Amino acid sequence: MEKAIYIAGTGMTPFGEWWDKSIRELMDEAVEKALESAECNALDIDTIIVANMLAESTSNQAHLGPLAANLLPHAPPALRVESACASGAIAMHTACGLLESGRSETILVIGVEKMTDIAPSDISTALMGAADAEKDAPCGLTFPGIFGLVASSYMNEYGLTREDLSLVSSRHHANAAKNPYAQFRNQVTPENVTNSTKVADPLRMLDCSPISDGAAACILSTKFASSFRLAASQIATDSVSITDRASLTSFPATKDAMSKALKEAEIERDEINHIEIHDCFSIAAVINVEDLGFAEAGKGINAYKKENSSLTINASGGLKACGHPVGATGVKQIIDSVKQLHTSKKQFALTQNFGGACASCAIHIIEQV
Amino acid sequence: MTNPPTQHRAQKKLRNNMQEGTILAITTVSHPPAGFNKAPRNIALIKLNNGTRVLGCLTTMDSAAIGKTVRPRMQLQRVMETGLRIYDVSYEPVLMKEVKQESLDHVFPGYIIALSGPSGVGKSTVSSLLVRTASEYVERVPIITTRKGMQGDNEEYIHVTNTEFKEMCDRGEVVACTNIPDRNVQRQYGYKAKDIESIWTKGKIPVVVTEEHLLQGLSDHFGRRSLLSFGLLPPGESKRAMLSQLLHRLRKRNRDTKESIEDRIKNAEKDIDCLRERNDLFDHILVNEHLESVIDTLVGHVMNTAKTK
Repeated sequence: MEKAIYIAGTGMTPFGEWWDKSIRELMDEAVEKALESAECNALDIDTIIVANMLAESTSNQAHLGPLAANLLPHAPPALRVESACASGAIAMHTACGLLESGRSETILVIGVEKMTDIAPSDISTALMGAADAEKDAPCGLTFPGIFGLVASSYMNEYGLTREDLSLVSSRHHANAAKNPYAQFRNQVTPENVTNSTKVADPLRMLDCSPISDGAAACILSTKFASSFRLAASQIATDSVSITDRASLTSFPATKDAMSKALKEAEIERDEINHIEIHDCFSIAAVINVEDLGFAEAGKGINAYKKENSSLTINASGGLKACGHPVGATGVKQIIDSVKQLHTSKKQFALTQNFGGACASCAIHIIEQV
Repeated sequence: MTNPPTQHRAQKKLRNNMQEGTILAITTVSHPPAGFNKAPRNIALIKLNNGTRVLGCLTTMDSAAIGKTVRPRMQLQRVMETGLRIYDVSYEPVLMKEVKQESLDHVFPGYIIALSGPSGVGKSTVSSLLVRTASEYVERVPIITTRKGMQGDNEEYIHVTNTEFKEMCDRGEVVACTNIPDRNVQRQYGYKAKDIESIWTKGKIPVVVTEEHLLQGLSDHFGRRSLLSFGLLPPGESKRAMLSQLLHRLRKRNRDTKESIEDRIKNAEKDIDCLRERNDLFDHILVNEHLESVIDTLVGHVMNTAKTK
């Protein structure tokens, strides 16, 4: 990083179904908590970046920048960032650029999504906006369908069994049981996963992250120091349509962003103790562990077969159990990494947030100083 | 849901997708998005023979698996709220049959001229005239049928009972068969391999009158290459105009009862759709407006084929 960027404050709403809260109220709650936790006050915020994917479709509300700015007394300049499910982390990356250039000193990044206001079939259609409308959508494909194709291809190539895949969601639910902000804090057994309703063969309902409401806010500053700083912020992209990919069993954007992030942070992979990865579907978690270099290709599931004390994966419960309000996820992963480092007293944590079928990917490395 | 202009642009590439391919990944979407039929959709990522990859629906999951070959088939995908009917390429898993050693000697047995088209379009008339005009090159293959004989039938039919028909099928003598139901009875039609092969032995080209299933059966048995397949359509700008033309012809020939005409028109609509949806099964589409020009065209093809033999 060109400059030391500190995580000066964090706050989030619990993720879940918030029927009685609007998109503005969700943002307000997260912002208030972030400001409470920070040493700076509201008037120190000089820029706001809002990460959101679907507010037009779900809340008939675009123009989220000024909407968020007016939550603060001085209504600072504000903008919105959209990159499907990676919106949150891409907004963090945008903030880093502004901070490094010196254009801003203290930025409030808010990730927010309000998904439960519309029917599930409509949300499914809206989420398909993250895929290619001319190449992927016309045949009636949904996002679970895309990852169903990914899973079938992976199982065919590496012989992953349905029973093994069920370990992923089961572990994430067990982790979420300890997280008061998680949408689902119940335990599920691998058998529960295997026997849940079919969604997109071979994926079952408990392989899929839920539809959630929630907001997460993070104050990044070059002016107000804290014990946590961003050691790396890198993004990478790939083709939007899966028809333009050479393989479905690995996501090159993750590999690309990861190698750049390690270089930027000037650390080795094994110095990282906590990772929060984008498990929108269980199969994605397996592939992410491999693409991040924590397992060989085809061996990602081993990370879920036995616990590794030196590397925690999705201790928050991940997208599956903690919830996945799409625009908020990337910001929430960073907040959770800070909490994990604070508790474990370790030095490095990593977050990986992707959009679509990893057509955009952002990786952040957080350091406890 | 995809809007009409997006759909339109996507369909510009449709022609490129009309080719065989291999399944790379496969899934069944249990809850298709809004605007689609509620039934689960079988969707595959397919590598086409030209190397491009596409996403498409599979017509069936029977024998569908990663690595299997699929062939394209136009299908109605959905009807939009505005009434716009969206067609797209679906893919059908190809059933692989074991190649029998002895059949290797007869990789290309010869040509068969197949005439298809809706009831009343004049298949029988055209085939009779063709046989009469080019009798030294072509010969009509008798149709085995379980339907009762009626006035106006000529030597084209061999009438058998249902039991006899079934026995012939069980013995494998009938290579292509179809059931064209009447409102009262099931009516089976079929062709025997022996009849077709005996015409080849005489050095002539067999002529058959077919519909989708018969055509598919013949294509599966003798190979698609053996079929010189003609689709006959009545004149008319629209399907409705074609159907009213057929109705007129059926009434005029005075052979069928009112009910039978209704049944025939119902089947005719399917046959017209088949010409478009199964265009892989047809080599030429002819509009039967002037009988002479249709016969001239057919004779021209026969002569060409006879020369290349």
